[in-house]
Amino acid sequence: MFDIYVYFYTGVLLVILGSIATAIGPGVKDPIVRTLNTEIPSVGVSLILLTYNHTIALLTFIAATVIIMMILLRAIVRMEELGAEL
Amino acid sequence: MTASVLVPTVVSPEVVSLYIPAIFTGLLVGLIGLLAISYQKNDLHALILTDIVSLGMLILVAAVGTDLAEALILPGLVVELAEILAISEILMSREMRKMDKTVELIPLPLSFNMEILDTAPTFLAIILIIYGAFLSGFTGGAIAGGGILFYVLSKMTRGVPSNTWEGVAGASAIAWCLWIVGFLIFFVAPSYWLLALFLAAFGIFIKVAFKVGLIGVIGREEFKKDKE
Repeated sequence: MFDIYVYFYTGVLLVILGSIATAIGPGVKDPIVRTLNTEIPSVGVSLILLTYNHTIALLTFIAATVIIMMILLRAIVRMEELGAEL
Repeated sequence: MTASVLVPTVVSPEVVSLYIPAIFTGLLVGLIGLLAISYQKNDLHALILTDIVSLGMLILVAAVGTDLAEALILPGLVVELAEILAISEILMSREMRKMDKTVELIPLPLSFNMEILDTAPTFLAIILIIYGAFLSGFTGGAIAGGGILFYVLSKMTRGVPSNTWEGVAGASAIAWCLWIVGFLIFFVAPSYWLLALFLAAFGIFIKVAFKVGLIGVIGREEFKKDKE
């Protein structure tokens, strides 16, 4: 009923497309857009970890992604307030 | 596909058949990230792109598909987190020195002076910490640490006493010692394995939970500046 290959290859597709989108996607000159784009490959990685049954790794990965997001957004906002060139 | 390496029989054929595609995905993603970094002139953009490279690394490790992979992903994630935190701090302090002005530690675009920030963080942090203590070990530490971080960041708008961080860092170091003692007991006195197991589990729980102290140590100077 649950075909693991569907999850795996959806994850692979999301990771590859998402990383291309982060690298050269539209509007990535804006660092906030680039940071939001990194969420797409991380959903893909979550699906891949789910295929392999890496439950603890998946939970930690989700928590780490959220914290990394917070750190990056804080860095971007602080740099913008400084008036640095982005 | 004929496996050219020794594959134990306990590994399921699905995992073996997914190994080659997963390895190539990881390599491709890492390559995309590294190429994008090499064309990037801005340091902040390069920092965001290192996130992509680390995702490629995670897929490569996960492709092994056993408990070993799971055990290797967890430190990989923590190292990535610490690395991004440290490099973003370096970038910001360099920029501040260049521009010769400072901004507050956590810039918030809105004035978050809402009633819910007084009540909700305590409740959510307590639930996260209790759940983390119940899980124990590395994951529990991460969850409880998330709870503490959430609490501190929510209260940040009203100011956090700077000397709290010293205590948090000290407790973290003592928990680290507990973890090492737990491992020693495993080898020196294997008959006390249960004690060793609990020392190790709760040592690493407290240690990982208090990783939030890292942020405090980095921000210590700015907290002192606030107090004056």
